[in-house]
Amino acid sequence: MKYLRAFLSLVIAVGLTYLLNRPLGVLPAVGPFFSPFTGFWQNADAPLKLPPADMKLAGLKGEVTVKYDDNGVPHVFADNDEDLYFAQGYIIARDRLWQMDFYSRVSAGRLSEVMGPLALDFDRYNRRLQLPEGAERLAKAFLHDPVSKMIAESYSAGVNAYIEQVTYKDLPIEFKILGYQPEAWSPLKTALVEMVMRKDMNARSDDYRMSNALAKHGKDVINDLFPDYPIEESPIVPAVTKWDFTPVAVPKVPELMKATIAANLDVEAENPGIGSNNWAVHGSRTATGLPLLANDPHLGLSLPSIWYQMQLVSPTVNVYGVCVPGWPGIGIGFNKDIAWGMTNVGSDVFDFYQIQFKDKTLKEYKYDGQWRPVTSKVNEFKVKGLSTITTDTVLYTHHGPILYSEGQKPFFGDLPIGHALTWVGPVAQGNSLKALYISNRGTSYEDYQKIMGLLAAPGFNLVFASNQNDIAITSSGHFPLKWEEQGKFILDGSNPEHDWRAWIPVEHNPSVKNPARGFVSSANQFPADKSYPYYLGWKFAPGERGLRINERLTNMQKATVDSLRLMQTDNFNIEARRILPDLLKILEQDAAVKSSPAYAVLAKWSLKNDPSEVGATIFERLVRELRLAIWEDDFPSKDEKTPMSLPTRDRTWELLKKQPTAKWFDDTHTSNKIETADDIVKTTFKATIDSLTAKYGPMSPATWAWGTAKSTDIKHLVPLFKSFSRMDVINGGGANIINATTDAGHGPSWRMVVQLDKTWPKAYGLYPGGQSGNPGSPLYDNMIDKWAKGELNELVFLKSKDEKHPKVVSTMKLQH
Amino acid sequence: MVYILIIILSAIAQYFGPWWLMPIVCFALCFWKSKSVKEAFLVAFAAVSTLWLGLALYQNFVTEGVIALKIAELFRIPNASLLFAAVTVVGGIVAGFAGMAGYYCRAAFAPSKHS
Repeated sequence: MKYLRAFLSLVIAVGLTYLLNRPLGVLPAVGPFFSPFTGFWQNADAPLKLPPADMKLAGLKGEVTVKYDDNGVPHVFADNDEDLYFAQGYIIARDRLWQMDFYSRVSAGRLSEVMGPLALDFDRYNRRLQLPEGAERLAKAFLHDPVSKMIAESYSAGVNAYIEQVTYKDLPIEFKILGYQPEAWSPLKTALVEMVMRKDMNARSDDYRMSNALAKHGKDVINDLFPDYPIEESPIVPAVTKWDFTPVAVPKVPELMKATIAANLDVEAENPGIGSNNWAVHGSRTATGLPLLANDPHLGLSLPSIWYQMQLVSPTVNVYGVCVPGWPGIGIGFNKDIAWGMTNVGSDVFDFYQIQFKDKTLKEYKYDGQWRPVTSKVNEFKVKGLSTITTDTVLYTHHGPILYSEGQKPFFGDLPIGHALTWVGPVAQGNSLKALYISNRGTSYEDYQKIMGLLAAPGFNLVFASNQNDIAITSSGHFPLKWEEQGKFILDGSNPEHDWRAWIPVEHNPSVKNPARGFVSSANQFPADKSYPYYLGWKFAPGERGLRINERLTNMQKATVDSLRLMQTDNFNIEARRILPDLLKILEQDAAVKSSPAYAVLAKWSLKNDPSEVGATIFERLVRELRLAIWEDDFPSKDEKTPMSLPTRDRTWELLKKQPTAKWFDDTHTSNKIETADDIVKTTFKATIDSLTAKYGPMSPATWAWGTAKSTDIKHLVPLFKSFSRMDVINGGGANIINATTDAGHGPSWRMVVQLDKTWPKAYGLYPGGQSGNPGSPLYDNMIDKWAKGELNELVFLKSKDEKHPKVVSTMKLQH
Repeated sequence: MVYILIIILSAIAQYFGPWWLMPIVCFALCFWKSKSVKEAFLVAFAAVSTLWLGLALYQNFVTEGVIALKIAELFRIPNASLLFAAVTVVGGIVAGFAGMAGYYCRAAFAPSKHS
């Protein structure tokens, strides 16, 4: 009896401990998670954190000094480059380990291993995009070059030094909640992080929507409504610029594919929030006589933030700026002599090919009059919570993988047809680590030119300024050499002339140095006007931001840091200036509308998307609804089977101004009446006010103010972790405003202004987040409020490790 | 006595090692010295509850409660104070059953004069 009792009590005690030491379904392991010695309590940082202790790290050659400033920015001083990149990896892992691991898992299509079936479709898609294959090729290129090999391997060793050292107690809280451990870092993981960026910037397509529209309306209508260059535009390379190269032969437009199968590919068509601004002002137009440079890349705003600030110093370099966790070097920043920044080019580098299979076995496909074998690959997923391995068989043609809409039958009707994807992601090479190595150490325009061939994808509009008073901008990247409109519609997978066959020589990329107008700029608009001899795409980001930037810079004399900072938060709505007078003229014809308070607000609006403006709320909603009201009947963008593209806002406003009686204004759903532009504008205005009232209640400055109505959310990378997000950040702006903060949570993910100088530059910047990736740290989101107000921090750019600076609060030494 | 010893020894063990050293300490100390099963359970429960709750409150205080609220919201726990209750109960129960096992094992394998 007493033995049984002892045995049973022991079983209970051990069993209970064992049970609480393991994750329970979706819940974390209760024991270690709740223990105040190791659990989530330990992830809270006191406002006055103790300075980090000095560390002994195997793998270092010498001593590294890390000085933290009061914003949590590490300033890393190393005796050699190996130690510098080792320390960069080690330091960033201390603050952002979970985020790095997360990005690499996203790209590897392995998120479902730790998140469960929820993430499976996402994983499948990322594998089909060949992000892992692309990363393998990139990693090979990193390891092929001695410089980038040194960087990638030193950085990995530094991250791994931290992973080996970290205990459960100090693990990022996301690991504790989701119940998994960080994996060792490697050059391949760095390449995976780069692939995430390629996907975010380039993996978008409306080819199928355009093909559907073409099939319905014919080429003349498409030419008219979807022109290859906007009506109002201010291209990156000023129109007066002469091209100083002899173009290579551009392929002739081949026979186009006639029949188009109605398609609905589950691919993001356009994302108005992905974009960015940058500009540099020549010394002839600044107060100091030397250039100023500004950059604000717009990305999905997230917590932890995509950026991390750092200063990296070794005998070969002293550079400050931001980097992406997992990606060594400084991505956007400045040193003593130069500054540089980036925006997305957004050219068409993501094309679909219609594939004609021989029969239902899908074993062969037609190409150049013959049948070619289809290959296949089985992707395996070890989904958390599932006992068996989930597989996904992907078919490949020489164009690339066959994609189809998730959750739908892969092929349509009886015709065995599929869509193969060719995109820049897995094929463009380059060596971003080498490019950053050179730019971080750059001293002149010549160094800037050296990195062009190394930047392959995504394409960046790379802005540059030096203290030798040079400014420049280049749409860098490897772009396919296309025939006119190649990839505007789904391409013919059986015709060799539809293949991507060559790249535009990088020396021919759109570029301009020290233009007469005294500034360079980009806002994702067309890199060049129609005089540029190569086809890059028929549609770029709407021109408004670029127009506004160029207009302001043209009128700016004696520019200062503050004039550029204020420009970054410029809320002027150039689209409203263009179209609102026409809309008001139409609306005032309707007595009921004209006497309404909403009309009065709109008519008196300052045309600024400031947070307090009600007019901005009405206008933004009105133009969105108007575009749908005009086009949705003829170009159903929301149709489930055959969605189509809507003509751009640029083309729509031109139509409204110049052809108010065009047949497109007639609502084809009404048979007894032929509507004109006036009718559509009036009814849409009423509908807009009704829907705003339904959403925010009767019109009032408090509830209808643009800041409240737009309400920017900065969400944690796992959106389910709502309490780790910052919701409803009040600010102004909009997708086509310089201050490009959208309601979908996109916006300026880093704002920087650099004032170049012969002796020592001054720089300002911040991002909507904080240096720490830990939701329990005061430095997790400390910059958000300042960011929303449009303020910038003065950046601490130390001359040497001995410099005494009042903002440096702690020092950590890393030693062998 | 055992109460104080559990607090001190298990704190040292948990500071340097994993959380599950805590029930081992409770087991050992109750094996060594406890008069009844009831006492073993209660003393271990009380000692670890005190320790866990005390440390959690301290952590929460010095970090100005920055994480408890977020965790409570994340797991849809209506009130952050329930987290403190959970800490008390989880630590206490594990400790209590370990203490109980300690007592019974002692009674079975090395009975002292008292029992």
